[in-house]
Amino acid sequence: MGKVLVINYDICNGCYNCQVACKDEHVANDWSPIAKPQPDTGQFWNKVYDNVRGQVPKVLITYEHSICQHCDEAPCIAACNAHAIYKRADGIVIIDPDKCRGNKMCIAACPYENVIYFNDALNIAQKCTFCAHLLDDGWSEPRCVDACPTGAFTFGDEDDPKMKDLIAKAEPLRPELAHVKPRVYYIGLPKKFIAGAIYDQEDDLCAEGVTVTATNRVTGEKTTAVTDNYGDFWLRDLQDGVYTLLLEKPGYLTQKFGPVDVTQKDINVGDIAIWKA
Amino acid sequence: MAEDRAPNGKSGEKTLVRDISFCGVPENGSNASMVDVKNGKIVRIRPMHYDWKYDPQKHMNPWKMEVRGSSFEPSMKTLIPPYSIAYKKRVYSPARIRYPMKRVDWDPDGAPGSTGPGGRNTQNRGKSKYVRISWDEALDTIVAEMNRIKETYGPTALLYQCDQHGENKVVQACHGAGRKLLPLWGGYTLQIRQPDSWEGWWWGSKHLWGCEPVGQGKQSNLLYDVAKNCELLLFWGCDQETTPWGWQGQLPSRLSYWYSELGIKQIYVCPDLNYAAAVHADRWIPVLPNTDAALYLAITYWWFKQGTYDKEYLKTHAVGVEAYEAYVMGEEDGIPKTPEWASPICGVPARVIKALAEEWASKRTSVVIGNGGPGIRGPYATEPARLQNICLAMQGLGKPGINQVKMIEWGLFDFPDQYAQPKPLRVPNLRTAYTGGHPSDLNFPSLPKTYVPKAILEGECDWWGCESETAPREDQFVHRFYPAEGCSKIHAVWTDSPSWITCWNSGNDYVRAMQRPEIEFMWAQHPWLENDALLADIILPVNTKLEEDDIGADIFSGQYNLLFPEHKCIEPLGESYSDYEVVCMLAERLGLLEEYTRGRSIPDLIKYGYETSRCADLISWEELNEKGYYVVPTAEGWENEPAGFQKFYEDPKANPLTTPTGLLEFEATGLKENFPDDPERPPVPKWIAQGVSHEETIGTERSKKYPLLVCSNHPRWSVHSQHEDITWLREIGTCKITGPDGYQYQPVWLHPSTAEKRGITDGDVVSIYNDRGTVLGAVYVTERVMPGVIYIDHGAKWDPIEPGVIDRGGAINTIVPRHTTSKNAVGHAVSGFLAEVEKTDLDELKRKYPDAFERPFHPCAGPGLEACIMGGE
Repeated sequence: MGKVLVINYDICNGCYNCQVACKDEHVANDWSPIAKPQPDTGQFWNKVYDNVRGQVPKVLITYEHSICQHCDEAPCIAACNAHAIYKRADGIVIIDPDKCRGNKMCIAACPYENVIYFNDALNIAQKCTFCAHLLDDGWSEPRCVDACPTGAFTFGDEDDPKMKDLIAKAEPLRPELAHVKPRVYYIGLPKKFIAGAIYDQEDDLCAEGVTVTATNRVTGEKTTAVTDNYGDFWLRDLQDGVYTLLLEKPGYLTQKFGPVDVTQKDINVGDIAIWKA
Repeated sequence: MAEDRAPNGKSGEKTLVRDISFCGVPENGSNASMVDVKNGKIVRIRPMHYDWKYDPQKHMNPWKMEVRGSSFEPSMKTLIPPYSIAYKKRVYSPARIRYPMKRVDWDPDGAPGSTGPGGRNTQNRGKSKYVRISWDEALDTIVAEMNRIKETYGPTALLYQCDQHGENKVVQACHGAGRKLLPLWGGYTLQIRQPDSWEGWWWGSKHLWGCEPVGQGKQSNLLYDVAKNCELLLFWGCDQETTPWGWQGQLPSRLSYWYSELGIKQIYVCPDLNYAAAVHADRWIPVLPNTDAALYLAITYWWFKQGTYDKEYLKTHAVGVEAYEAYVMGEEDGIPKTPEWASPICGVPARVIKALAEEWASKRTSVVIGNGGPGIRGPYATEPARLQNICLAMQGLGKPGINQVKMIEWGLFDFPDQYAQPKPLRVPNLRTAYTGGHPSDLNFPSLPKTYVPKAILEGECDWWGCESETAPREDQFVHRFYPAEGCSKIHAVWTDSPSWITCWNSGNDYVRAMQRPEIEFMWAQHPWLENDALLADIILPVNTKLEEDDIGADIFSGQYNLLFPEHKCIEPLGESYSDYEVVCMLAERLGLLEEYTRGRSIPDLIKYGYETSRCADLISWEELNEKGYYVVPTAEGWENEPAGFQKFYEDPKANPLTTPTGLLEFEATGLKENFPDDPERPPVPKWIAQGVSHEETIGTERSKKYPLLVCSNHPRWSVHSQHEDITWLREIGTCKITGPDGYQYQPVWLHPSTAEKRGITDGDVVSIYNDRGTVLGAVYVTERVMPGVIYIDHGAKWDPIEPGVIDRGGAINTIVPRHTTSKNAVGHAVSGFLAEVEKTDLDELKRKYPDAFERPFHPCAGPGLEACIMGGE
């Protein structure tokens, strides 16, 4: 039975407990033969990133996490010419700190970013171990999961029905890397949004009930939202791309707005005036 | 503690249960944690698991809220914040004081006011370095100075500052262990911590709705009421993903996710996209700092105009509505407080104000607060506080789903009506065994903390109220004076857990006050060399709570209440002792030890704490020690506790408020009688752009020179001044930003438009300045703050370039207003004030202040001991 980790971005509050607990466990503690100590700062076997999305006042944060994916077809294992990296029966990938020769082949081979770090002082590569030393000592989950207050991190056996349910709702961090068979799953990976606020210029009132349709200029795919009592609309879960907006409300002039480019980032288009027909 | 408490025997680790929280009175315990130790070292700190030694169903009576087809239960572990997890780093910090020290150019043989070699050199406080001395020399010097001061001026010449920000301890109390000693010695002047974090509520709302002791609304069972009844929650200057962390942990986070799941809309009104808004907001309404009063006024204008408020309720539940309506509608001053009037003041478009007013009136709405900076701790904070109360009153305060809900301090000061969470069978209380000073303890003479610089710099002052943090409303009408009749002026200062400069009003004034020759002697006791400790003539090393035996209770978590004996995790570092032990040593030299301790040893006090905890009939001392902790079960029938103001709503005559009329006073009877002509806190709350105390709004003359408004909340990565040296937090981007000189600066949030206008780019080192001084920081250009605003966390570790003038550490409180909330209200005003920001020429500063920039600092932990020790360490 292999171990899996599911990270739910939808309920991550960004407290950094996971990142800090990882440090508390691994800095200045020697867990050989699973792991040697992590440097005090600058390296993160479990790192949080603040993805600040949108513009005032349509702003939100998605906290993103990078951590070893403990791949079943791990490129790092294949790449290590010292044969220092191995997969345990429970699926966990370990860099043997005594066998590592500091050749850094694993760092080059890993297709994920900021997962394997190089410890210059010890001349070894290091990364997340799912706290295997604790699991072997009777713990049911790694430190990051124990420290998570919201349940954004869930750890368990892949055959456990609870984990199966979660995995069914989740997706891999990078679908194009399916062939490496990662053991970390994600819920709520960010998709782009276009937001804005529509108002009646003449009355200077927020325009509720305006239908806003975004059309992807390449695929032609349409997404629709209706403005609320603040005239706000949020077009969510958009594919990266360039969109044209159509604003419609009975009794008002229909308007086109665009182009809106969400290839790189989420966009708040700001306040848009509409006029009575 | 010989028992192996690890999950299994293999690791050889022992597990100890400790309260790792940071408020410091015995009714505020929280953040129970498991500390694993091995070979005399702390291995790890982690959440405490309630079910470790107890069967939840059999022993804990778990609560469960079931509403709208969904359910919510407490977690089976404590939801501790990152600085509890990382506390090992604080314990072993490079800033730890390991032996007694003396300021190198302070000579106790020097005459008062003397300078130069052999002098007292008080003018050098904050600049001087320190040398190691023995405990005997330190204690002998302190006792000799105490007695000299007493003989020369009388005992009230000693100011005892013992109310500051420190760890939670009970028997080893770090706040005011000397308060029981000094009366035996002859007396003292107490620095009264004016009610902080509640400024507007305390000095304003108490006159509107009573609600002793701090003026915040009744909280009983409100978490459940919100779930059952609310349609809309307005989080007003509330960041439940930050402010409650040090006091109670992260249940507010889980709860906020659940409220969203229930379909309860969450709107956040604040200048910054705070950490809660960033993950929970359905809408963010940016409002310019400390302009909320104008926004509330416009909302009520719209309600009066449209008739969308509860007129019948006001007839039976409120007084003074007509006077308020006359002001709002412009009958009093010719200015109707329309949304169009408010919009340029508060930065919210008029149409959004109208939409908000209409939505508020049409939905069952509670306002959610969380102490902190924005909203309620600015100049004239009494006004937005009362105006918010008025908004709630106009929609029928106390109806299901209509209350003021707190996301912090559930159970404050042991008041039953402050219990927002499902009630426990018993609330453990350790006050009887507490060796420190409690906020409700009284003393004469005393001096409000906010007035300490004024008293010393000006030699005399007077104020109203502030007898204690929990003094009733009527106390605000008592006139007090410094020096008090028959008492001395201050000539010596004793401080514990010092954090004045970085947490109070105009810290630069405080520094200048402590540099005065009249302050002949100042001594501090603290585990770390930081903040006000850098002013002291003698510093005594104190250990952290993990080096001490104690007893703790976790009562603020909102999950389960706990009682636990606390066993020492490691031996004290260096020559450190607990604060209580330090005071015992002083007592011994003063010949007062027996009287002071009443013959009780520390183990006696710990057991006494258990005996008087209210839980002694629920678990035996033996079983408590054997299990290591006790979980108090949830009370039966908690669901039926009345919610918030429910009883007042149902029958105001039978359940009056503590206002003079017993009703909601839109026009305050007490203020009308005592301060009828106070334009800074008028009987009817108003928008006050400026007055004799403050000129801190856009449009005033000062705003031409300082055109930005500073918003400063309680910090995300520390509790006030605490945890500033934890390397694992400082490497988080919103905690510190490394400048080109390798120094980790306090982040200064600027909107891209604000930065661009000043030629500032992300990561630049900048100076925030006004006529009270300059503070350095590094810029975080972000959409998380509205244009025209500087956002900065308070509490950064003070690292003076020129003490009292310019600070490198980012201690923004050094330049906050020196005047109090208003003329007759001595709260502090620490957010919502004017400043300007500009790119810093670091090379120029280095040329001007070479010594300050040559001081060593730890690259990852910041300023430490080596910067202040003679010759480094």
